[in-house]
Amino acid sequence: MGQLKLSGVTKTFGKAQVIRPTDLVIEDGDFAVFVGPSGCGKSTMLRMIAGLEEVTDGTIEIDGRVVNDLPPVKRGISMVFQSYALYPHMSVYENIAFPLRVARTPQAEVDKLVNRAADVLQLQSRLQHRPGALSGGQRQRVAIGRAIVREPSVFLFDEPLSNLDAALRAEMRVELSRLHAQLGNTMIYVTHDQIEAMTMADKIIVLRDGMIEQAGDPLTLYHQPRNRFVAGFIGNPTMNFLPVTATGVGEGGVTVRGEDGAEILIPVSAEGVRTGDTLSLGVRPDDLHPGEGEAGMPLVPDVVERLGNQTVVYANTRSGTPVCVVAGGSEDVRPGREIRARFDPADAHLFRADDTALARRVDLARLAALA
Amino acid sequence: MIHKYTLWEKIGLYSAIAVFLIFVLAPFAEAFMVSLRPIESVFRVPYQFFSDDMTFAAYVDMWSEVPGLARYIFNSFFIAACVTLLAIVCIIPAAYSFSRFDYRGRNSLLTAFLAINMVGAAVLIIPLYKLMFSLGLLNSYWSMILPGAAFTVPTGIFLMRSYFLRIPKELEEAAYVDGAGRLYTLWRVILPVALPGIVVVTITTFITAYAQQFLFALTFNGKDEYHPLTVGLYQFFGRERILWNQVMAASLVGTLPVLIVYVFLQKYIVAGLTAGAVKE
Repeated sequence: MGQLKLSGVTKTFGKAQVIRPTDLVIEDGDFAVFVGPSGCGKSTMLRMIAGLEEVTDGTIEIDGRVVNDLPPVKRGISMVFQSYALYPHMSVYENIAFPLRVARTPQAEVDKLVNRAADVLQLQSRLQHRPGALSGGQRQRVAIGRAIVREPSVFLFDEPLSNLDAALRAEMRVELSRLHAQLGNTMIYVTHDQIEAMTMADKIIVLRDGMIEQAGDPLTLYHQPRNRFVAGFIGNPTMNFLPVTATGVGEGGVTVRGEDGAEILIPVSAEGVRTGDTLSLGVRPDDLHPGEGEAGMPLVPDVVERLGNQTVVYANTRSGTPVCVVAGGSEDVRPGREIRARFDPADAHLFRADDTALARRVDLARLAALA
Repeated sequence: MIHKYTLWEKIGLYSAIAVFLIFVLAPFAEAFMVSLRPIESVFRVPYQFFSDDMTFAAYVDMWSEVPGLARYIFNSFFIAACVTLLAIVCIIPAAYSFSRFDYRGRNSLLTAFLAINMVGAAVLIIPLYKLMFSLGLLNSYWSMILPGAAFTVPTGIFLMRSYFLRIPKELEEAAYVDGAGRLYTLWRVILPVALPGIVVVTITTFITAYAQQFLFALTFNGKDEYHPLTVGLYQFFGRERILWNQVMAASLVGTLPVLIVYVFLQKYIVAGLTAGAVKE
């Protein structure tokens, strides 16, 4: 069991309010990821859930029990730190056994539990080594071992992969997903890396300036971002934003005119939009393709990155708005030579002047079935 | 970083090291040479570094010349060891508190400790005498141990505190999340990790205590059997002549305990015991 519920949780340091009133429910067994730029309060949030940081106001409940004043162990949580925080003078075995030693678990039981954790994390051959003799990935696994040996109801991870190199990070991501499937506990994971968030989460919570901007499953966030910040944060490379003017509002959507004068009908709900409003058109780089189409724009490529399977083109519109295009690996694109890029209006997003999104018509039920 | 020195740079470096070492070690060398000379040859003119009449006789004669010598050496060692033990017991919790807890007056307290250190024992010797007198501790080991510890504690706290500050806070947080209390964490996690720092503080405290006991012994102690070596050496003085060769021999033998302590503990001063704790 491990349902987590935050009600009206706030945190202030001195006069600065780093967490604004927050309500959030994370269901038992969920893999929830807090994601956001640095300083958005995601680590503070995690530390409050862990019991390392006091809650200024509001309540934190785990399995229906208010845990505000309980120490971490009594909350039934365990935590993996960004810096691993292994005990350097103890062997891997003793590191993993530490929580059990604190709880005065009998030796036979310690043996059994540590060996089981070591099996799960493939650390059997390393049990007698000191952390100093291990690689980054192994140290991280030891830290995870120390967290799982106690069998808590909620696991907390504070940017656990940010110290690893790219290849190892991808590998550990898969391992963590596998671990979650195997253990089935609630996991709460903090990262600033949206790829980690997208790949592992059942539920992503996007934070900015101590506030939840949006919480939902990854595909909902990707296809129906609530505002421009979430749209820009989720997805890589980030979404392109182009200034447009609304020229028509109707049942079929909103017709907008871009800076090159072409009019495009975007199939979104027109709620709160009037003709003449200034809007932002959002198009993901992957939805832009070189070539002519019903909706498109002329672009002048500036930098072309060839990754083999794809070509990332950093270009500018005629008026100088930067636009990124992800094209095929063998696309004939050269810096300085104008191209046209097209997109399907159904893939586009529209944002009001206050950055909120106009609701898109996306078949989320179909996407949810994929998850 | 790979850096190859040119020949001239190497010569410069080695000569600088040589000058420094000569400056530091020359007194020891001369002390050793004096201890090997018969007393008549100590002031021989012209000066001879090596001579034919060198002998280890002083190292044998000194024990009979001053019968209490062994006792003095033992006292020196004993007092310094007690001072160190007492000081460390005070230093560790104080330094831990200074490095980890946040409370009113913490910084001014630390400054006060260091300010006392600046005043020094010599200035406070009369008030200390009165204090020892009213506590009834004059003419006892305690009269040398207590002030000795008191004056080594501030520096020790400062050294130890900076070592504790270098231990990542996450280690304690991890232990706290794992259910360990403050004392358990201090004992099982922080102290083992801080061991190299503790050894450094132990050595510096011991050396300071060994060197500073002269003043306290001279002022607070009148009992011959409690005197440390620094005071005991005066037994070689004041007859018709000063037995310089035996004074030097006794001094050199007297530095042996410090040397032994250092050799015994220095293997613990290894950088990198924290390696692997956190990613830096």
